[in-house]
Amino acid sequence: MADESGETRDLTMSRAMVSAIAHEMRENDEVFYMGEDVADYGGIFDSTEGLREEFGYDRVMDVPISETAYLGAAVGAAQEGMRPIAELMFVDFFGVAMDQIYNQMAKNTYMSGGNVSVPMVLTAAVGGTYNDAAQHSQTLYGTFAHIPGLKVVVPSTAYEAKGLMHNAIRDDDPVLYMFHKRLMGIGWLPAPDGPKTPVPETDYTIPFGSADVKRDGDDVTVVTLGLHVHRALSAAEDLADDGIDAEVVDLRSLVPLDTDTIVESVEKTGNLVVVDEDYRSYGVTGEIVASVADEALAALDSVERVAVPDVPIPYSRPMENEVVPDVEDIAAAVRRTQ
Amino acid sequence: MSGTDDRVPVTADEWADEADSDEGIVVNWFVREGATVKEGESVCEIQIEKVSIDVLAPVGGTLAEIVKGEDDEFERGDTLAWITPDA
Amino acid sequence: MAGVSRTVLTEMYENMVTARHYEERLQEEYLEGKQPAFDISAGPIPGELHLAAGQEAAAAGVCQHLRDDDTVTAPHRPHHVAIAKGVDLDRMTAEIFGRQTGLGKGKGGHMHLFDPEVHFACSGIIAEGCPPAAGAGLAAKKRNEDSVAVAYLGEGAIDQGAFLESLNFAAVFDLPVVFVIEDNDWAISMPKERVTDVENGAKRADGFEMPGVRVDADDAVEVYEVAGEAIGRARDRNGPTVIEVQVHRRMGHFMGDPQTYRPEEDQEAAAERDSIERLEAALRDYGVDDDAMETIREEAHERVEAAIEWAKAQPHPEPSDAYEDMFVNPPSGVTDSEPDFDLAGGDD
Repeated sequence: MADESGETRDLTMSRAMVSAIAHEMRENDEVFYMGEDVADYGGIFDSTEGLREEFGYDRVMDVPISETAYLGAAVGAAQEGMRPIAELMFVDFFGVAMDQIYNQMAKNTYMSGGNVSVPMVLTAAVGGTYNDAAQHSQTLYGTFAHIPGLKVVVPSTAYEAKGLMHNAIRDDDPVLYMFHKRLMGIGWLPAPDGPKTPVPETDYTIPFGSADVKRDGDDVTVVTLGLHVHRALSAAEDLADDGIDAEVVDLRSLVPLDTDTIVESVEKTGNLVVVDEDYRSYGVTGEIVASVADEALAALDSVERVAVPDVPIPYSRPMENEVVPDVEDIAAAVRRTQ
Repeated sequence: MSGTDDRVPVTADEWADEADSDEGIVVNWFVREGATVKEGESVCEIQIEKVSIDVLAPVGGTLAEIVKGEDDEFERGDTLAWITPDA
Repeated sequence: MAGVSRTVLTEMYENMVTARHYEERLQEEYLEGKQPAFDISAGPIPGELHLAAGQEAAAAGVCQHLRDDDTVTAPHRPHHVAIAKGVDLDRMTAEIFGRQTGLGKGKGGHMHLFDPEVHFACSGIIAEGCPPAAGAGLAAKKRNEDSVAVAYLGEGAIDQGAFLESLNFAAVFDLPVVFVIEDNDWAISMPKERVTDVENGAKRADGFEMPGVRVDADDAVEVYEVAGEAIGRARDRNGPTVIEVQVHRRMGHFMGDPQTYRPEEDQEAAAERDSIERLEAALRDYGVDDDAMETIREEAHERVEAAIEWAKAQPHPEPSDAYEDMFVNPPSGVTDSEPDFDLAGGDD
């Protein structure tokens, strides 16, 4: 983590993300940002706050509500060697432009035998917990991690947000950067304690495929990402009162996946709980469990999955609270392993 | 050590144009007590109705005391924090 | 105002004042529990709320021509259209408050209102109501029925593939569909001229060789006349039409939108241009006096208050209700068992 030498500030996740983008834009004229409401508004979830003021409309481009066109344009500009960042306002809008994501952005490098690279970043706001219903609340982590050819990263704190963004823009491959709305530190969408962290003013990169052990523990391994890192840490505190010592692993990237860190933890604890804000079936929880089973089946005493049961996210508060895993759901799953 | 009289208050000078309310809420502190701040640096973020505004350090120095913490409500003109200016 | 009766004007006025009061009251309810700190997930109506104050003429003028069996698809800003289409106001309000007896049992919320009784549906994704509207038109054509379909969209949505593809689909199959663009000048914070090549969105029709008409003022009477032609053409199996109506956004894109990007003059101009006042002038010409209009407004207010009161008295869903309504048939399909065939055949 960052030092306390005076070269750090406590930043919200949105400000950390923006600081990385601004740094890269200053260093490299080929970096530009495209999205809906990213110029004057500064991003509906503050993902580009202040960038238009510094870089102007040419490099912080409001675009038509034409996701196929502008995500595809990012693919094309990237193939010409530029480093575009394109934003999906809500990840749920992916369907409008699925071909550009799934068939162009993800596959062109492979289909060209490695002769073509697509050095772009696709940013997308993800997640629920604020009653926005089924078309505006999904995370869809599994949907994007599933298709070969995309690197998929999910910051959980300001420190991660900045380091992962630097690495994403400098990476020569397409990177999907999924930021959780509830973690951004927006006044009207209050964040839990945790995502606002000290952030070095200097640039730094966090390599993809390096999970971070956010809490050490001997009794159970809780693997999670995004908002649920913070919910898992809260659950771990509650469990500690009952003498259960949980280790919390923040994946930070889904592709590449840091299986080594997970397996090492499970070999220590013997118990695995995977927590995900995406749908349960055919998704992150199943993938993590299967990966551990492949590598260290003998080390597994028990396994629990905590995810959104296979229903769309309902609007009404009691129902959304029911389906999105909360601290109690995580703690209960951990207790079942003991 | 300098006396409290030397300290300079941090207040929300800028207010949202269209806001009817004289109440705001502190959303985020970016600087901790004891840290050095530069003049004009954003030290915290406030929200008035739906508008978010950065509050800037009126002088360079040390952030001596945070009076209104995160999620605290305040009235227009209230002191949010104190800065001990550089000598 | 040839062909517009006093009854039509009065009914449109009822719809418009109901819709306006509804949005103003929802705004109040929405802000409950969200002051002084605006927390989007707090209060009796959480989540995003997109209100349509200032857009009523586009709803009332078109829907005045529609029957219950005509289909309407609305976007994320649907209340005024739903009211004009005759959606059950009590159950719609209960849905917005997330209650068990809402149109979608609290599962959909304000952007996702479905009332099959009057063939009304919504989508929260820009322009994605256009293809289903074309589908409703296709069904009417295949069944040789004279019902029509209307797709509502904002001016920002005319750059979306789903809209453009639907235009071609409707044109090539001569479907009874009318596309109604509500031009409120703003795609959230993006002014039309920054992101769209045409000033007149109805020109999108040209490339598909279908009629495209723009109504420059948010004048319910003019909308009614233009829509009458378009819907008549659709009912007579003469193909689709695009109509664009200039409306104005009196509130933010969503409640909580600080609108810091929007020039003061633009907000003031929107507040001054009032389709309801314009219609009142027309009503006076027809001999409807101010007392009669006041009575209509009072009745509309009472209807809105009654709907809100009813909605707030409705039960919240049970958490376990979240697991209901995934399918209409059981997961196995219409049946739980396969018929017993002996595929091997031969001697038994």
